[in-house]
Amino acid sequence: MPRLLLLALALGALGCAQPRDARFASASAGPRYFGDVTPPADNTLTYNNGAEPEGIDPGVISGQPDGRVARAIFEGLTTPNPRTLEPEPGQAYRWEVSADGLTYTFHLRPGLVWSNGAPLGAEDFRWSWIRVLRPETASRYASFLYPVRGAEDFNHGRIRDERQVGIQAPDDSTFVVTLAAPTPYFLFLTEYYTLLPVPRAVIERQGPRWTRPEHIVGNGPFVLRSWRQGDRLVFDKNPRYWDAARVRLDHVVALSLEDLNTCVNLYKAGVVDWNPSGYVPSQFIPYLREYSDYRGGTYQAVAYYSINVTRKPFDNVWVRRALAFAMDRDAIARGLLKGSRMPWGNLVPMGYPGYPRPPGQTYDPARARDCMARAGFPGGRGFPTISILFNTSEDGKRIAEAVQSMWSRTLGIHVEVLNQEWGSYLQATVALQYDVARRSWVGDYLDPTTFLGTMKSGDGNNRTGWSDAHYDGLLRAAAVELDPEKRMRTLAQAEALLLDQAPVIPIYHFATSEMVKPYVRGIEDTPLDVHPLKYVWIDRGWSRRLAAAR
Amino acid sequence: MAAFVVRRVLLMIPTLWVIATLTFFMVRLAPGGPFLSERDIPATAIRQLEKSYGLDRPLGEQYLTFLAHAARLDFGPSYKYPGRQVREIIFEAFPVSLELGAWALLFAVLIGVPIGVIAALRQNTGADHAAMAAALAGVSIPNFVLGPLLVLWVSLTWFLLPPALWEGPQSRVLPVLTLSTAYIAYIARLTRGGMLEVLRQDYIRTARAKGLPERAVVFKHALKLGVLPVVSYLGPATARIIMGSIVVESVFAVPGLGRHLVNGAFNRDYTLVLGVVLFYAAFLMVLNLIVDVAYTRLDPRVELS
Repeated sequence: MPRLLLLALALGALGCAQPRDARFASASAGPRYFGDVTPPADNTLTYNNGAEPEGIDPGVISGQPDGRVARAIFEGLTTPNPRTLEPEPGQAYRWEVSADGLTYTFHLRPGLVWSNGAPLGAEDFRWSWIRVLRPETASRYASFLYPVRGAEDFNHGRIRDERQVGIQAPDDSTFVVTLAAPTPYFLFLTEYYTLLPVPRAVIERQGPRWTRPEHIVGNGPFVLRSWRQGDRLVFDKNPRYWDAARVRLDHVVALSLEDLNTCVNLYKAGVVDWNPSGYVPSQFIPYLREYSDYRGGTYQAVAYYSINVTRKPFDNVWVRRALAFAMDRDAIARGLLKGSRMPWGNLVPMGYPGYPRPPGQTYDPARARDCMARAGFPGGRGFPTISILFNTSEDGKRIAEAVQSMWSRTLGIHVEVLNQEWGSYLQATVALQYDVARRSWVGDYLDPTTFLGTMKSGDGNNRTGWSDAHYDGLLRAAAVELDPEKRMRTLAQAEALLLDQAPVIPIYHFATSEMVKPYVRGIEDTPLDVHPLKYVWIDRGWSRRLAAAR
Repeated sequence: MAAFVVRRVLLMIPTLWVIATLTFFMVRLAPGGPFLSERDIPATAIRQLEKSYGLDRPLGEQYLTFLAHAARLDFGPSYKYPGRQVREIIFEAFPVSLELGAWALLFAVLIGVPIGVIAALRQNTGADHAAMAAALAGVSIPNFVLGPLLVLWVSLTWFLLPPALWEGPQSRVLPVLTLSTAYIAYIARLTRGGMLEVLRQDYIRTARAKGLPERAVVFKHALKLGVLPVVSYLGPATARIIMGSIVVESVFAVPGLGRHLVNGAFNRDYTLVLGVVLFYAAFLMVLNLIVDVAYTRLDPRVELS
C-alpha cells in the first residue's frame, strides 16, 4: 500500500487526478481504522484545532488555527466550495464583474443578520474592509486588499480619506469594489478570513476584548460559546445564519493541542474526531498510512533553502547554481523523510489551474561541479566555509545535516549547520544575517502570485536580498494582463528566471496528512487544507452503510 | 516571630525589583522581537503595534512605566494574545497548575516519606535496597519518557484513563502520577537520609533506654527531625511543582502556567514573560518564608532572627 500511495503521489505530480480511493481497492480484508471508531452520541464534532489561536479577529489574525476559528464564526461575500475551494455565493448571492475586470458589484442576500439579531448590510462589509486597511489596525494581511484602488496608499497612510479607496456601499444590499488592476483571483480573496465582516457596534464598544465569548457576534454557521486558553473553544450552531438549515452540526469543540503525539493519542482514544494536517508526527506516517482513516494529499506549500545574495560568494550566480544542482531532493524527501514529502524543484507548487509550470531545478552533481569551477572555485578550492541556518526542529536538523554532506561531497566545500531558536532565526532571516537558511511558504489562494510575489524586490518575505528588474517587470506585466492564458505564461517565465538565478533552492512539496474518523463526513481533500465546518456532519450509521456497500 | 515575618516580606520588595529589572532588560536583549513572524508584517503595521504597546518610547521610559504598572499588578496585554491581559492569563492558568501540583505534592509526600522511613529503619536490608533502587529509577526517568509510557499502557492499551485533556477527575491521574514520580523518589531518599542521622542521636538512644515502644520512638521523636531535610526541600519543590511543568502540560494537554513561561520567552512576549517570572518569584519567596517558619515549629534548636 505505501507503494500505491507513492504512485498516487507521483501521478499527482504529473498533474493527474489522484486516485484517492485506491486504498479501498487494495484493502481486501476490509478497512482498518486507527483506534476507536464509535461516533459521538450527538451532533458534536470534536477536532484538534492546533496551536492556541492568538486571536480570532478576522482582520488582524494570521495562521491556520486562528483562521479555522474565524471561518466558523464569520462568513464572507463568497464562501469556499468544500471540495474545490472555488468561490461560491456566501453573504452575497450574486455578483457582476465589469468587462475590464476592474469593478465587482456584489448583491447581498436580503434579511442577513448578525448572531445577535442586528441587521447586516453592505455598510458592514465596507467598514470591515476599511478597518483592515487602517494603519492603526495593524492587520497582517492588509496586502490582500492591495488590488483594490487606493488601498495600498490608504494602508500606508499616504491617503487619509477612505472615500478615495475603491470600496463602496451605495445601498444596504449593494457592495461595489473597484480594483486598480484586474485580479483574476479576487473572488478567492473575498472568501479569505481577512476580508470577513466584523460587527462594528461590538468592536467600538468592547475594544480589543470584543472577541471574548461574552461579547463576540458573528454572521457565520457557528457562534462561540466558550474559550479557555490552551484548552478548547466551544461553538454552538448559529440559528440566525442564513443557511442554518444546511448546518448539521449542533456543537463544535475545537481543542488547542500542540504536542503531536498527544494529538495522535487523543485521536486513537476516540476523543478527537478529526486531527488535521500538520498534527501527525512525520515519523508515524509510514505506519499510519496503512489505516483507512489516514488521508494523505498534496498541500500548497514548498520548503526551500534561501540564499543571502548580499553576502560573498553568494552574489555570484554560479555559486548559487552550483548549490542548487548539488541538492539531492530525492534523498531528502523519499529517503530521509520516508516519502512523507515529495521532492520538488519549483517554487510554485502543483495544482494551480492553467499554470504552465516551468521545469524545476534538478539534481546534477557534474553540472554542480562545473558551475563551481565557473564561479572561480574549481573543486571547491578557495571557497569560504558557509553555514546552513535552521530553526530548532528535528526534521530541520536532519535535513540540514543531509544537505551539509551533499554539498561537501559534491562540491568539495566546507559547510556548517547552525541551529537557532525561533525568534533568533526569524531575526537572522529578516536582517539578512545568514548564508543559507531554511524557509517554507504556504499558498494563501489558488494563484501562482501567492508564491512568486514573495520574491519581488524588497518584498518583506523575500529575505534573500535578491532583486531582479526583469523579474519584477514580468510580475508587473502579469498584473495588468487581461488574457488569463498569457498572464499565466508570463508568470511561468518569471518563475523560470527565478529558478535559474537561484536565490532560492526548492527542496520538497508539502503533503497533507490528516486523520478523519470514518463517521465524520464533509471534510474533503482540498488543495489549501481549508475545510469549511459548515458542511461537516456526523454519520452515526457509517458502519451499516459501509457493510451494505460491501 | 511577627517581626521576622514582616522583615522578610519587606525584603521581598527589593528582591522582586531586582528580578523585574533584570528580566525587563534581558527579554529585550534577545534577538528578534514580539512582532516578527515567518510571514512578513508590513513595516507600518509593526510601527503601529509598537506604538500601541508603547515600545516606540525610550527604553528608560518604558522601564519606568512598566515598574509603575507592575506595582499595581498590571502587566498589560500579552503581545502574542492581544485580547488577553497577562493578569488574566496567569489567573486562568494558575489554578490548574495549583491543582495538578498540589495533588502531585500530596501524593509525593504520602508515598515518599513512608518509603524513606521504612528504608531507614531496615537499613541495608533487601527492603532498603529495593526502595532505594526504585527511588533511583524514579529520579532518573524523565517526565517525557514516563508520561508517554503511562499513556501507552494505561490509556491506549488497557483503555482505563483518558490519554490527555483536563476534564473530570479521571483525567488528573496520569499527569499527577507523572509529575510526582521524581518527587516521590527524591523525598524517599531525603527522608531515609534524615532518619538515619536522627536515629543515631543520643536522645533517640535515651528514648529507647527509657523503654519507649519503638513506634513512639520513631513517630514521636525521630520522624519530627528526620523529615527536616524534606521540609526544606518542599519549599522550592512546591514552587517548582505548582508553577507547572511544560513537559507534563504538553504531554497531557493541561492548560497550566508552565507553558506560558517557556512559550512566552520563545515568542518574545515581553509582558507575559515579565508577569509570569514575577509571579513565580513572589510565590517562591513566600514558600521559602513558610518553610523557615515551619522549621522553628519542628526543630526547637532553630530560632528566627
